[in-house]
Amino acid sequence: MHGFHDRLLHVDLSTRRHHWQKTGESRLRAFLGGIGLGTSLLYDFAPPGVEPLGPDNPLILASAPLAGTGLTTTAKYAVVTKSPLTGFIADSLSSSHFALALKAAGVDAVVIAGRARAPSYLFVDDDGVELRDARHLWGRSAAGAEAAIRAELGGDVRVAAVGAAGENGVRFATISNEGRHAGRGGVGAVMGSKNLKAVALSGGARISVADPEGVAAAADALRRRSLGEHTAKYREIGTVANLAAFDRLGALPTRNFQQPTFAAADGLSGESLTENSFSRRHGCASCTIRCERLFKSLSGNEQRMEYETLFALGPLCGLEDPEAVLEAARLCDEYGLDSISTGGTLAWAMECVEQGLLPEAGDLRFGSAEAVLAAIPAIAERRGVGDLLAEGSRRAALALGHGSLDWAMQVKGLELPGYEPRSLKTMALGLAVSPRGACHNRSGAYEADFSGAVDRLSSEPGRGALVAASEDFAAAQDSLIVCKFLRRCFDDFYAEAADLLAKVTGWDYSADELRRAAERIHTLKRWFNQREGWRPEDDGLPPRVLTESLATGVARGTRLTAEELQAMIRDYYGARRWDESGRIPEARLKELGLPAGHDGAWAHGR
Amino acid sequence: MTGESDKVGSAVVLAGGKSSRMGRPKAMLPFGGEPLIVHVVRRLGLLFPDVVVVAAPGQELPELPVTLVRDDVAYQGPVGGIVYGLRACGSAAGYVTSCDVPFLSLPLVSHLTSRLPGHDVVVPNWEGRPQPLHAVYRRSVLPLLEGQLERGELRPVFLYDKVRTLKVEEDEIRTVDPDGSSFFNMNTPEDYAAALARWERTAMEAAPDRCEVELLGVARLRARTSRVSLDLPRSATLAQVLSALALELPALVGPVITETRDGLTAGHVCNLNGRDFVRDASRPVEPGDRLLIMSSDAGG
Repeated sequence: MHGFHDRLLHVDLSTRRHHWQKTGESRLRAFLGGIGLGTSLLYDFAPPGVEPLGPDNPLILASAPLAGTGLTTTAKYAVVTKSPLTGFIADSLSSSHFALALKAAGVDAVVIAGRARAPSYLFVDDDGVELRDARHLWGRSAAGAEAAIRAELGGDVRVAAVGAAGENGVRFATISNEGRHAGRGGVGAVMGSKNLKAVALSGGARISVADPEGVAAAADALRRRSLGEHTAKYREIGTVANLAAFDRLGALPTRNFQQPTFAAADGLSGESLTENSFSRRHGCASCTIRCERLFKSLSGNEQRMEYETLFALGPLCGLEDPEAVLEAARLCDEYGLDSISTGGTLAWAMECVEQGLLPEAGDLRFGSAEAVLAAIPAIAERRGVGDLLAEGSRRAALALGHGSLDWAMQVKGLELPGYEPRSLKTMALGLAVSPRGACHNRSGAYEADFSGAVDRLSSEPGRGALVAASEDFAAAQDSLIVCKFLRRCFDDFYAEAADLLAKVTGWDYSADELRRAAERIHTLKRWFNQREGWRPEDDGLPPRVLTESLATGVARGTRLTAEELQAMIRDYYGARRWDESGRIPEARLKELGLPAGHDGAWAHGR
Repeated sequence: MTGESDKVGSAVVLAGGKSSRMGRPKAMLPFGGEPLIVHVVRRLGLLFPDVVVVAAPGQELPELPVTLVRDDVAYQGPVGGIVYGLRACGSAAGYVTSCDVPFLSLPLVSHLTSRLPGHDVVVPNWEGRPQPLHAVYRRSVLPLLEGQLERGELRPVFLYDKVRTLKVEEDEIRTVDPDGSSFFNMNTPEDYAAALARWERTAMEAAPDRCEVELLGVARLRARTSRVSLDLPRSATLAQVLSALALELPALVGPVITETRDGLTAGHVCNLNGRDFVRDASRPVEPGDRLLIMSSDAGG
């Protein structure tokens, strides 16, 4: 088989046994790789109703057909599991050399179940599968564990690991490799709950493609396009460029979404950081765009910074000093915390303090850098109030009560990213209905708002179809996998991507088949959620967004009413051809070749 | 509420008032070298694809690119005009104004229309009074207004208690129209003289028009500056602004501004006043407009 290995590795940490299984061409054609393959495996191998931090919740690392082919931006892999933060699907991506190593390990995916008796790490190479002692690594940062394992096993080994947050079951802990994170939904907590510190890979499996010359020519063309004007932002300044632009548009969530502009935005902007603190540019393996930016703090530390981290630890918490935000980001990386959920949960706590609640949080107030820098390690180590905050804003609010759920800025338990829903109303819908909770990656619904094609401050029928199309587009990219920052380099994405897939796999694969696969993948995520207890009220936005008008900026006074959101949600269900309450009719499942009942695995049995 | 469209695609201009105190029809007063109605319609045309002018039976008007309707019965006051105008609207809601508003602020009009979701009427309160001829009305209020007309209730304010009315207060108005220039209207020859004087003063202050451009992201890094103030000919288009910007900051030509100097590269987009993304380079730029040039990709 080209493009895949047609092989799954199952590891049971409880019994220390493993076995291999054929992936099956029908599964691969239907779900591709990455998020799609991971979702199909989660559906099949997670027992219905499984406890996310229990041993039976599978942690799935999935490779993808384009990984390892040399096509730019394709060195990516997916981590899929049931989220301890949301109780629904967690599907996260990470990238670079570990992704190439996963492909070279000769597997399409690794499905990890059970719980090791003692801290361990999993090592897979051409000679076999080994569970190794990780007691000496427990408590170390992911980067520290990565370095130590490479020192033990050799420099060609690639490692993805959890930090202290994952070990301690922080519900928004990440899995990281080479400084990149599978960030959202708490996949690191699932790994930690298995007593698994890391996965280490070293393999030399041949990656065969059906049409090597065709793939090389396509890779060359794509590389050239990746260096064009569509990627200028990512190449020249990085995602941190969003901060000042969003501020001007009244779309920068500030002080726990109390305002959509930040008075100190200029000092914290990507432009200022670049002018004052730029250290170097970096890129993932196999990437020509190289969007990563490292900035140097006054103490001399180099720190990666992305818009989401900058927003969540800066304006969202009221922090104005770039040095403090760089240091907060460094702590999140060191402990292995999702910076968005960290910022979102801290901002919730700050508002609690403002309201006279949560006395144990002390001086955790908006703008207090010192308190933020003290709270992050406390969360990772579950010390003091950190133990409550480690649960994420929704669970913390439910535990605290006093109406504090009203200002827990989350959807399905996942904290909102840095896109203000009231001034980006297509995005508002995208955030409300996303299967993994408030998410800016599994759809790019904001693109419509920024295009000028719709009025971002109002809504009308038709937004549902825009969001559905954006979700499907993301599902296709996340399953092939190509980076989203390449998305505008295609003239006709589905046709060109299907052609790439055909060249890699040798399949006769059309744009229509790819479109259908994308829709199938998205629908299966939703179907998984439905199986795990999704209710119509889980699609929505926090009360603040639906009751308070924007307080500052060009969109001051703008509201998003509950009725307006509900109308958009119904419009979306209509576009998806789901029923009025958002449930997927059996006929739709059948049309997409998905199992209609929750009693059967998709194709291959558990 | 289901499926309620919040798109305000139409503007209605009431031009058929008696103009009794002015002594001559206000719509035809010369203003900046053209009849006032032409000036007002052209400005509204920048925001609304559909402009409706309501005139009195037999009233003289210049050639206008609008839907022209005539009152069935002359001089029934604003309610009559609003009814005839809304009936002719091509969209579900319309912004209604009069023809004697030479300093109408488009940012304010745009702000009012954005406030429609969840309401039937959006009316600004200026100096303590609702301004029914600067308001947004859904067409769905037509039956109520028609009832008022039958009963001779010729003041629009009677409607406001019966429907979901949003009154936009002065402090909010001032965020987009700081001195309330939109509400300057003309009833007497003295008002007209004051308007002309003000127009000339503004024209002198703004001649040539100044336009503020803020550069963000790649544009700022390339230009090594974040703000530029440009002198432009009156009613310059976006293309002319970009051309002037290219002269001022040649480093932007290529990466940000196209080689032809009349547009932006695909990676960039222009936003007007933080509100509207503008793709059409022939779009006129208003005096005092603030242009933002930023990446067209908001991914993060």
